[in-house]
Amino acid sequence: MSQTYYLLRHREVPNIGQIAVYRAHGGYEALRQALKQYQPDELVDLVKRSGLRGRGGAGFPTGVKWGFLPKDGRPRYLVVNSDEAEPGTFKDRELIENNPHQLIEGMIISSYAIKANEAYIYCRGEFLRGYEELSRAVQEAYEAGFLGDNILGSGFSLNIFVYRGAGAYICGEESALLESLEGRRGNPRLKPPFPAVAGLYGMPTIVNNVETIANVPPIVTYGAEWYTSMGTEKSPGLKIMSVSGPVNRPGNYEIPLATPLRRLIEEYAGGLKDGRQLKCIIPGGSSVPLLTPDKLDTPLDYESILQAGSMLGSGGCIVIDDSVCIVKASHRLVKFYREESCGKCTPCREGTYWMADVLERLEMGLGDERDLATLTDVADNINGKCFCPLGDASIGFLVSAINHFRDEFEAHVREGRCPLGAKVYDTANY
Amino acid sequence: MIRLTIDGQEIEVREGTMIADAAARLGIDIPVYCYHEALGPLGACRMCLVQVEKMPKLATACTTAVAEGMVVHTSGPQVDKGRKGVLEFLLINHPLDCPVCDKGGECFLQDYTFRYGPPQGRFQEPKIQKVKDGPINDLILIDQERCVLCQRCVRFMDEYVGEPQLLLEGRGVETVVTTVEGKPATSQFAGNVIDLCPVGALLAAPYHHKARPWNIERQESVCTLCPVGCTTLTTGRDGQIVRVEGRPVVDRNWGWLCDRGRFGFDFAVHPRRITTSWLNGREEAAARTTREIGQWLRQVIENEGPDRVAFVIGGLHTTEEAHQLYRFATEVVGSTGVVVSRDVPGYLPRGLNGTFEDLAAADAVILVGTDPYESVPVLHLRLRERLKNRRQPVQLMGVAPRELGRPTLPVDTLVTHVGHEADVLAAALKRGAPQHPVVETLVSKGAGIGQGLSEADLARLGDALLQSERLVLVWDGVEPEVEAAFIALAQVREGKRTRVLPTFGPSNWRGFERAGFSAQYAALTQVLEAARDGEVRMLVLWGADLLREYPDRRLVEDAYQKVQWLVAEGLFLPTGHEAFSAVVPGAGPGEVYGTYVNMEGRLELATPSVNPPGQARPTKSYLTAWAHALGRPFVVDDEWDPYDDASADLLPDEPVPTTITPIAAPVSNPGEVELVLSAMVWDNGIPSQILRSRMASPLARVSVADAERWGIREEGLVRVESRGETIELSVKVDERLTPGRLLVPLGGSTIPANRLQAGPVKVQRVEEVQAR
Amino acid sequence: MKPEWRGWAEEAKKQFPRANSALLPLLHRIQRSEGWLSPETLADVAELLELSPQYVDSVASFYSLYFKQPVGKRVIHVCVGLSCMLAGSDDLMHALEEKLKISQGQTTPDGEYTLLEAECLAACDLAPVAQVNLRYRGPIPPSEADRLLSEEVSS
Ligand SMILES: Cc1cc2nc3c(=O)[nH]c(=O)nc-3n(C[C@H](O)[C@H](O)[C@H](O)COP(=O)(O)O)c2cc1C
Ligand code: SF4
Ligand code: FES
Repeated sequence: MSQTYYLLRHREVPNIGQIAVYRAHGGYEALRQALKQYQPDELVDLVKRSGLRGRGGAGFPTGVKWGFLPKDGRPRYLVVNSDEAEPGTFKDRELIENNPHQLIEGMIISSYAIKANEAYIYCRGEFLRGYEELSRAVQEAYEAGFLGDNILGSGFSLNIFVYRGAGAYICGEESALLESLEGRRGNPRLKPPFPAVAGLYGMPTIVNNVETIANVPPIVTYGAEWYTSMGTEKSPGLKIMSVSGPVNRPGNYEIPLATPLRRLIEEYAGGLKDGRQLKCIIPGGSSVPLLTPDKLDTPLDYESILQAGSMLGSGGCIVIDDSVCIVKASHRLVKFYREESCGKCTPCREGTYWMADVLERLEMGLGDERDLATLTDVADNINGKCFCPLGDASIGFLVSAINHFRDEFEAHVREGRCPLGAKVYDTANY
Repeated sequence: MIRLTIDGQEIEVREGTMIADAAARLGIDIPVYCYHEALGPLGACRMCLVQVEKMPKLATACTTAVAEGMVVHTSGPQVDKGRKGVLEFLLINHPLDCPVCDKGGECFLQDYTFRYGPPQGRFQEPKIQKVKDGPINDLILIDQERCVLCQRCVRFMDEYVGEPQLLLEGRGVETVVTTVEGKPATSQFAGNVIDLCPVGALLAAPYHHKARPWNIERQESVCTLCPVGCTTLTTGRDGQIVRVEGRPVVDRNWGWLCDRGRFGFDFAVHPRRITTSWLNGREEAAARTTREIGQWLRQVIENEGPDRVAFVIGGLHTTEEAHQLYRFATEVVGSTGVVVSRDVPGYLPRGLNGTFEDLAAADAVILVGTDPYESVPVLHLRLRERLKNRRQPVQLMGVAPRELGRPTLPVDTLVTHVGHEADVLAAALKRGAPQHPVVETLVSKGAGIGQGLSEADLARLGDALLQSERLVLVWDGVEPEVEAAFIALAQVREGKRTRVLPTFGPSNWRGFERAGFSAQYAALTQVLEAARDGEVRMLVLWGADLLREYPDRRLVEDAYQKVQWLVAEGLFLPTGHEAFSAVVPGAGPGEVYGTYVNMEGRLELATPSVNPPGQARPTKSYLTAWAHALGRPFVVDDEWDPYDDASADLLPDEPVPTTITPIAAPVSNPGEVELVLSAMVWDNGIPSQILRSRMASPLARVSVADAERWGIREEGLVRVESRGETIELSVKVDERLTPGRLLVPLGGSTIPANRLQAGPVKVQRVEEVQAR
Repeated sequence: MKPEWRGWAEEAKKQFPRANSALLPLLHRIQRSEGWLSPETLADVAELLELSPQYVDSVASFYSLYFKQPVGKRVIHVCVGLSCMLAGSDDLMHALEEKLKISQGQTTPDGEYTLLEAECLAACDLAPVAQVNLRYRGPIPPSEADRLLSEEVSS
């Protein structure tokens, strides 16, 4: 399939992570253009007009967020969220490992737009290679005069700092990320105030996802109209979808928004392996409800997916075939949230622990009739009652799984075993 | 102001108020675990869910600020289910050991479970196992399984006290509250976490498994161990006090205690507590001793006249007891020597006395001589709270012969020579208001030099003293001339509020004064001099231990030598009791009903929890017996009430004296080392076995520089020479101490500080003969 | 405390505009050279950064990549996230447990290997994926578990 890449350009241009190669292919021209032709506010306006929405999961319009910064003269910061840890999502890793200069260029333009002179990249601890690539690329950018004082004679100065986390999914939540960046435990902060008002070290801060910022240079180069020419009115532009599970070509795909889900799975990812049958799909990372095969023709844009009963989220698309036990899959996801709950709030801390245990027991065939009702009720007691969205994320898949596959849950109880014969290791606890 | 409706009731509150606090004002109880007004919102436990109209989800009342026109429902099916759900979550990993838990019956978890109904018990999974009865230190235990991770304890120590000795370890459901690597928490405020813990996770080790809530009663009382007079609850069981807790008073205090007050209640049952009488150096039955004393009294009065008997009150007596003694002394005996025992010479006129409200509103606070952390610990917390309120900045300065700041409370200290505090205050006034006649009078004898301080220092102090709108000074009373400086200051400041908080003892000296006694140092000295000169035949010490307390020990020794009958009442044998004619055992705090007056001049009522032990008797028993022996009528006036209609629980106000007494020019021959005397609540002469380990280390201190000079590592022995006397002192090195100073606790039981004199001393290290 | 730590602490403090941000980087650096963070090390770090030992302990214990127990020369993280599970990560983990004769969470007695579960490593396209000393290896079908044990590793 031939394709013009904007975000995943390293697939066309080998070694684009080297600054010389990046520049030879037009790299840092968008920056030059931005500094020369735009006032900061005009850039904010450009991004607003492009309709770019945050790619970190919530899909909040980026230009609008930038506009929230108070105009009170305090220093401002840009923080790029590269904590990518939501099961099924792996786009940011590919970007920082292979095309770091585009992110850096995007950061410089964005910082100029929001008048920040300090910018940070928060890399998750497991991204050792990504951290090294980014550190190297930032160094190259300094040497080439794209960072530091008076960039390209514009009078604008910026320093970029690369920071590495140490293993905690919750640090992807923006306020927990800021805590971690300040050298603390990654507990989410009370909101309000939102980071745009009081963020890093108490200063107005914009937190954006890697992919979001990587979109900025092409928007400057090709214009807002180019961006809005793709996708829908409310979901314009390009999105990287990560496809995993039993498909022939798992990987990241750069698609115009509103591309049908079926096309992503069948054409881009090559369809299911070995003639397996589709059971369900998680379209937007582990925290969103599943979609059943009848929703395959849903266009991949924020509104349509929502209407279909799920969310586009971070674009982590996990394909689940009919050989997979839904209870086991649910257990695996809930266990993830149990491991990653920061422990600050009660429903998230205790509820995920409880649900994971019930699911494990069910999967082993040790459940009883009340378990399903208990699970549903525990999920309801978590729903909307946690300190941060992690708690709600932990029930998204589970609740939809119970709704769509109640029979399969009940069969586990009825038959006293997994009807699909899924293997369970480590049953020592029971 | 914001107007909102909660459960159909309208209320108006300040902007920024949380729904939980607004509801509390209406008397609507919203359950909370993590929230505490003093610590601010956290939003962790999720117990306080409420429904706010137009909000899509339930909101937490502790983190949601009120908004104009908001309509809140604190109950209803949705809210109840939400709270029930949270409660159930808290219980899944909570052990079912309420029957053996010290907090059973006093536990929020139990209470709310009762209110919201027990969960169906549908949790069948194994509970997470954690540490039970692990030590926080030798006084506090933690049961991590019972902990609900509300973080109150951790936040209190970290944010509020500034001594972050507790921590959250781990993440998620494995998180625990612990100390670092099991190292004991050393903060003197650590005990408060027991009160703060909403469940039975943090426990008082001395109370562990001691009592069950249904066989105890908690009485409202007051801590008498220092002049702060913290409000407490005491738990008595089987005739003994077994626990003291802090008692919050709405809008007045949070109920914090220091560990000295919380755990030091056992003086009442200390082995040294006397419960029988002593006559001529031997134990004797109470009746005989009392009779004997009565006869001596009669003899003196009849043979030599009533003026030959003098009374000195001290110790931990109530205002009412003092009043009884005063009436007995003046009306029955007819004595005129009725004075309060003092360990420092300073005095504060009532009219200058400030309150904690003054402190909270002050824009400048100046510590004169005193280090609140050591002398009046909970005041240290109040100062921290004041400092943390950034909306109203406050300037915190110190004038003292040593650095007063510490990491938890930075103080801009002007370090003076010993005995120069009044002079430095005068010097600052001289810079700030040079032409003012009051100041001119004040410095007319040559004071106002400010030795060793820069012009900038003095100007800064002058500004704080004169420019501040609401000034509070905190004073240790060690240097008496400071009083004159305060009086002058108040006059120069005219209409601007000037208030002083005295940190000196005895804790209830204002109460004794209210009862009629003179708390002036000169009056006490006069009595002692009269005794030394043979004019007092019988000296009655009511709770006072003059050999330990009075600043000039030699005068007391001479007086004791000279009087014929030396009689004491108290909880403990007085120093030098072998020479006493008689000692009778008294009743202590928690054993009598009455009021105490704290450093604010505030009356605080205490209800007894137990009866006095053994033959110990309340004051009035003795007085009645002696009146009988004298054949004079004495009806104890139980109706006397120290309260005043106009001033409510504060003592009646009085005008500030107007006479300006000039301050003497300071002696300017500092010497190499100067002795600093300072009150320390940890060594105030009242013993405790529970606190033994914390009281053990030497309390006298030397600076790092001096220690190096003298070859002292961490602790050592020095010989100190002053007033022609030499004593040996165990000292420890104190990083905060200003070089050239030797710090010695006042009136302590371990060091006879009153054999020394503040000011220049000679110090020499004593080679330890053996390793101790 | 190793003499070079002081220098590292200074570098960590200078690496970011505010010294608070130095803690995580310094812990990373010291753990890289020491293998793990002993209580003494944490106390040293507290001293180097003028933080309380409680604070450092609390922060370090929050993050799963800081080891508060000694670990082997090769730390193998096997991803057990959903996508990897679908590709057989449980079997991979089981194969490794059998080969190393330890359970996940443990270190071989010779101190060579530590076997740990990882939550989603954001490399689902490489499922089943593992990291050896934080270097990605994948896909590793369970039958090829040996590859994780023999390949050269950098640290
Ligand atoms: C539990 C949790 C985990 C998150 N993890 C990430 C993440 O790994 N990467 C990310 O960009 N956003 C993550 N987010 C979303 C961020 O909080 C934030 O909304 C985002 O970084 C904003 O960037 P955007 O506007 O460019 O999307 C997470 C949110 C939650 C609640
Ligand atoms: S110990 Fe008590 S106060 Fe501290 S967090 Fe646990 S439950 Fe709360
Ligand atoms: S994950 Fe802990 S409060 Fe949200």
